[in-house]
Amino acid sequence: MIGDDDTLFIDIGCSQQKKYNQNTYGDFYISKRYPEERRLIAVLSDGLGSGIKANILAEMTATMILKFVAAERNLMKAAEIVMNSLPVCQVRKISYATFSVADCSETGLVKIVEEGNPEFLHIRNGRVIPEEPKIIVSKKFPNRFMRTYTIQMDIDDRLLFCSDGVTQSGLGGPIYKLGWRREGLIDFVEKRFDAVPDISCRQLAQEVVVEAQTKEPERQAKDDISCMVLHWRQPRSLLVFTGPPYYADRDAEYANLFINYQGRKAICGGTTANLVSRELNRPITTEMFAKGSLPANSYMEGVDLITEGVLTLSKAVEYLEDAPQEMPDDAAGKLVTLFLDSDCITFMVGAKVNQAHFDPDLPLELELRKNVVKRMEKILTQKYLKQVSLHFI
Amino acid sequence: MENEGKIRVRICLGTTCFVMGASKLQELEHLMPPEWKDKVDISADTCLGMCQNSNSGFMKAPFVKINDEMIGGATVEKVIDKLKELIV
Ligand code: FES
Repeated sequence: MIGDDDTLFIDIGCSQQKKYNQNTYGDFYISKRYPEERRLIAVLSDGLGSGIKANILAEMTATMILKFVAAERNLMKAAEIVMNSLPVCQVRKISYATFSVADCSETGLVKIVEEGNPEFLHIRNGRVIPEEPKIIVSKKFPNRFMRTYTIQMDIDDRLLFCSDGVTQSGLGGPIYKLGWRREGLIDFVEKRFDAVPDISCRQLAQEVVVEAQTKEPERQAKDDISCMVLHWRQPRSLLVFTGPPYYADRDAEYANLFINYQGRKAICGGTTANLVSRELNRPITTEMFAKGSLPANSYMEGVDLITEGVLTLSKAVEYLEDAPQEMPDDAAGKLVTLFLDSDCITFMVGAKVNQAHFDPDLPLELELRKNVVKRMEKILTQKYLKQVSLHFI
Repeated sequence: MENEGKIRVRICLGTTCFVMGASKLQELEHLMPPEWKDKVDISADTCLGMCQNSNSGFMKAPFVKINDEMIGGATVEKVIDKLKELIV
């Protein structure tokens, strides 16, 4: 139901740098959300060697694991099968690709399996805390084993995964004879949290990659460098109320549901705004002058944004599709900014249709609200990886 | 109250009225005689409710409400004419 949700949002950010002189990445990361299961699976794989061969090996391994883990609810079993079936390089007698996989639940429970990659970091309150793995040795290849973990994340905990291009950066060079190593990475990460406690996943992953690269002589990476960060945080949620409910006798109920929602709130539609104003007895003021081709915003206490309905929604879909560098300063631009700033977006879509919108005398054709919202849902989930739910009322 | 005694003009900027030309009515403030400024209070409305009213009869969007009177098919000229009647 709208609003009663105690799960966390899992944010994810990745960054990569190619090995010097290679034209493609030899590491591969992939992640996918499964909204119905409130689950996210992330995989980082490092292919043997570098360049296109490594790229194919890593991508193959990562996508295979992702699909397999998603289908097979038991991560440990899935990873073991993968470990036993991954081919071994005939010449070098080592696996074609190493991997780390995290099967994450929005409740904070996470299962991790690592095979060959450096150990991940679990960061809590800006400090890396130790985690004890359970080791599973391959029955088929005695020199192959995986580390497995089951961890309960707290709110604002992070996980950091990287390829050995990070921990071994600088290896053999004049300063870092043994490479940057895990200790160096931990030190760097903790310092970054001291400086920026709420550093975003993307930012941290980027900084780790850049830092690893600076450890290399002349900044020329000897190996592919990849970093992936996950963050369990309080979802930034947004409720959009658009269109009056089909049954007018439920106006009061929905107006109250809307205003009591824990999170940000937006109204798209004049009639809807009036309904909320009337039911809650809160006055609306409307800006007089349109911005761009859209009516201006209105204001009401307790509501973050009020816009006109279907014209603004259609324009917002356009902006989401075109993704302009700078968001226009009109009502649709403000709405899109609000979307991009939220993780979970709920639409309360009133089913009442305004006949006037289909009057053939209108100089332009207005799209059905329901259809605009559906297009919006699609683009927000697919292109922007937002968690979106629609409630038709 | 600051606006007491003034003639209230509410311009509807809801979807229907907006596409039917209400955006032009936003210019009213600049187009009416400047001496009316302190006699008339102009503001915008999210929807005057007329568009959902199948009984609005022959009246068409865009709508403007002057005090308690609803004006349909409103244009700047039409609103200015109405104001003239009220002001003199
Ligand atoms: S949009 Fe003007 S009356 Fe509804």
